Amino acid sequence: MIDPYRLLGVTRPADDESIRDAYLAAVRACPPERDAQRFEQIRAAYEAIATQRDRASYALFDTSVPTAEDVVTLLSERWQPGRPGLQRLQKILGAK
Amino acid sequence: MSRKRRHRGTPGSSPLPNADALQILAEEALHAARYKEAIEHYKELLKVERNPAWVANLAQAYAGRATQLAEKDMLKEALALWRTRSQICGTSLGQGPYLGWLVQSGDWEQVMGLLSSAESLSAELRAHTEIQLARVALVAPDAVLQKLPPDSPLVQHRAVALGALAAYAAGDHAAMNAHLSNIPFRSPYRDLRAILKAFALLHTDIAQAAAAIDRIPRDGPFEPMAAALRVCVLPGVQWLAALGKLDKETRALVLDIKGCPPKQRLVVSELSMLRDQPVALYDWLVRHRQQFQLSDATQLCLRLLPHVPDRLKTFRANFAPLAAAEHARILALSAELKGNPDQAEENWQDFINSTISEEPRQRVQSALVLNHVADSHNHSGKPGELCKHGIDLLAQSLDLDGQDRGTHLKLIRALRMDGTAPKELRNRIEKAVAQFPNDPEVLMEAVQSASDSGAHKKAVGLAKRILEIDPINSKVRGIIGQACLSQARKHLIAKKSDGAQRELEEAGRWLRTTSERGAIKLLQVFASEGADKEDALLREAVADLGGGLVGIFHLLLETARTKRNARTFIRRAGADFGATPSTAEVVALAYALNASSDHDKILSGALTPLQEMLIRATKLEFTQPEQVLVCEALHRRGERLLSRRYAEAALRRWPGRPIFVCLRAEAIYGDNRRRMPEREILALEDARDLAESQSDKRTASRLDALLPGTVGDFEMPGQRTGLPGFPGFPLPGGPATPAAAMEALLALGGEDALLEMMRKQLGKRMFEDLRLEIGGSNKQFARRLMEIFANPDALLGGDGVPDTRPMPPPKYVPAPRKPRRPAPGQKDFFDD
Repeated sequence: MIDPYRLLGVTRPADDESIRDAYLAAVRACPPERDAQRFEQIRAAYEAIATQRDRASYALFDTSVPTAEDVVTLLSERWQPGRPGLQRLQKILGAK
Repeated sequence: MSRKRRHRGTPGSSPLPNADALQILAEEALHAARYKEAIEHYKELLKVERNPAWVANLAQAYAGRATQLAEKDMLKEALALWRTRSQICGTSLGQGPYLGWLVQSGDWEQVMGLLSSAESLSAELRAHTEIQLARVALVAPDAVLQKLPPDSPLVQHRAVALGALAAYAAGDHAAMNAHLSNIPFRSPYRDLRAILKAFALLHTDIAQAAAAIDRIPRDGPFEPMAAALRVCVLPGVQWLAALGKLDKETRALVLDIKGCPPKQRLVVSELSMLRDQPVALYDWLVRHRQQFQLSDATQLCLRLLPHVPDRLKTFRANFAPLAAAEHARILALSAELKGNPDQAEENWQDFINSTISEEPRQRVQSALVLNHVADSHNHSGKPGELCKHGIDLLAQSLDLDGQDRGTHLKLIRALRMDGTAPKELRNRIEKAVAQFPNDPEVLMEAVQSASDSGAHKKAVGLAKRILEIDPINSKVRGIIGQACLSQARKHLIAKKSDGAQRELEEAGRWLRTTSERGAIKLLQVFASEGADKEDALLREAVADLGGGLVGIFHLLLETARTKRNARTFIRRAGADFGATPSTAEVVALAYALNASSDHDKILSGALTPLQEMLIRATKLEFTQPEQVLVCEALHRRGERLLSRRYAEAALRRWPGRPIFVCLRAEAIYGDNRRRMPEREILALEDARDLAESQSDKRTASRLDALLPGTVGDFEMPGQRTGLPGFPGFPLPGGPATPAAAMEALLALGGEDALLEMMRKQLGKRMFEDLRLEIGGSNKQFARRLMEIFANPDALLGGDGVPDTRPMPPPKYVPAPRKPRRPAPGQKDFFDD
């Protein structure tokens, strides 16, 4: 499971209300008809941390293994999408 | 001549076989892909005669050998062989993989030379070759391109293609589009046009870019660029998994587009190869932790630690010391992941001990842990069922956090399923209702419990409260109606017809289905007992309740519930007991039996008058699932005679079918499995093997449980064969190990079931003595007993000498076998 805090874009000390707001915003941005899989992830994330008791439970018992994708999501947060240079394009076309 | 030399002899050094024999050898070598040998043979053959078939085969052998060399990256050798093939066999140089190998080897001059020699290529092949060379032509030196005729499209459109490429790299989309519009539809560079447009869309509309890349063929000349694009348009971070399958240059292109800084490129490439192995990921995180914020890296490693507990030692050195509670939590989760609930419980206890305080947050945390541990005490697998210890843990959890609605509900359900502490259940329900007075789920639990305990009035009152909150709750309406019916039955038993009528009128307000209305009508007839004018209503009620066999069954059931004389009502209802019911009626009866919550005794009373009818119905042709349904329903209700008759009827139609063998044996032997004769055991074993071969695990395990020599058939301490004074007892299937059998029993029924079995085995006196001596909780006592039974020497003393205390007689002594009666006409052993 992707870190629900990260998925909803909230910090660890966030309260019920701000988590709910973040959830609604995430659902508005990605409704089920647009990307059902992503919507399911958002819903699961919200259910995991909706209340204080849920958050405590998640912190205590979550055994989901972080995946390489989770890690690269974290790593790529500050990356700026770029454009390959001419040299790179020529290289991929086989230039020696 | 040595043997070795003779074997490897060349055609020149050994006597030359005749042409026919050589041809056979050559063909064999060619078909077996021994191309080198085939080439030698065909060359020899061609010295004799230039046979066109041999020439073609030689060309095939050359092609095969060249391909083998190219696959081993020996491009130079492959190209040389292809040229030899062209010279000897007269084949066209440009056909086949030759051009591709040339491009791969970077020998552009040769490529262009080939393209410019018009005589070597047909028009079609030439066009195809131009497309294949489009990528090379873009990056080849100008001097090389001069070898091509000036009217070649590769030369004509090259400048605009290069211009478009440069414009894209510079981010000038307008210029790029202008250049691309000058590339004609049939140009060898046409794929580049589509690819560059898709690249430009990547940062503005990824869905359109994905759609555009889908239209580009995968065998096109610009596939390396297209492959990078296909990875870039993958949703989320799926590109990471695809990254590992790309070559170095394509990977670099993807990372350029993703914006990965140069210092992280190696790290990301390494990450893409990890394939979600926790150990590898943990070690990778530790190695590259400086790439992250410390808190992020720590958090990720903490999440991984339960999966890699052996890294706990190094965590402190790499990150920070772990608090005792956190350490215990990780060990507990790790034990759970390894399937060791006892160890996990101990670790969770350590966690609570490390965090215990009066602070509300810590109390909630401890309550959650107790609640979580309680879940591991569901040994039966039925949702909500817990053993005594689990119930205690839930109660403790509520003591720490009384606001947890979920735990209230869980505890109430567990107590209700346990059924041994009605007072505690009432207390818990009262507390929950006081805490959550307007919670429909809590109120529903209260209604169910009141209804189960026969407090129908209370159930109705609570149910009405639910309806105030949730007016369309059909389940509650049903519960109220059924509670009224139960109340009416009580009145009927107490011969209070007025009260019964009132309750039935009330029930009529809540119950709507035909069968429910039928039950009301039936009870109305009972309430107006003696009134023959009610016969029509009685017949109507029987029809509403399903008519035929099922209707009569419900009538009999209601008479049994209200203690009425069944015979009178059956006569008045005009039931025909002489008829044979249809398959549909018997199946409907099976469903009714399964749905009934009545006690088996009441059901049995209702089924007895129907026995003859049901036995007649065994001759009907049921489908196999119907037959299983009927047998199972009868078996579940303890109707062993009927269950056996239906199973035997099924076995006549489907001989040896495991499920029916099982049902028949269960019906015949019930709990007296030790009386099972040898042939029956063999039949059961065969059926079990057949069920296993059909992957019917459920039936196989049922048959396994039926066979003697499983749970319970193990040696008791001191009863091992050979121990003086404690004779062993022979068992048909050989004894299972005590530890395995007890583990199985513990898993199935929990420590309560295990202790109960132990009490029976050891006798009350010895059991209580051991209980006093060992002490501790039920769980600890059960574990200690298991250790003793697994290693009886511990009980007997290390030297294997039996304890001097008197042992109770073993309970599992097999019944003495009846002497086998000789078959009629068979002589006795001593007859002679």
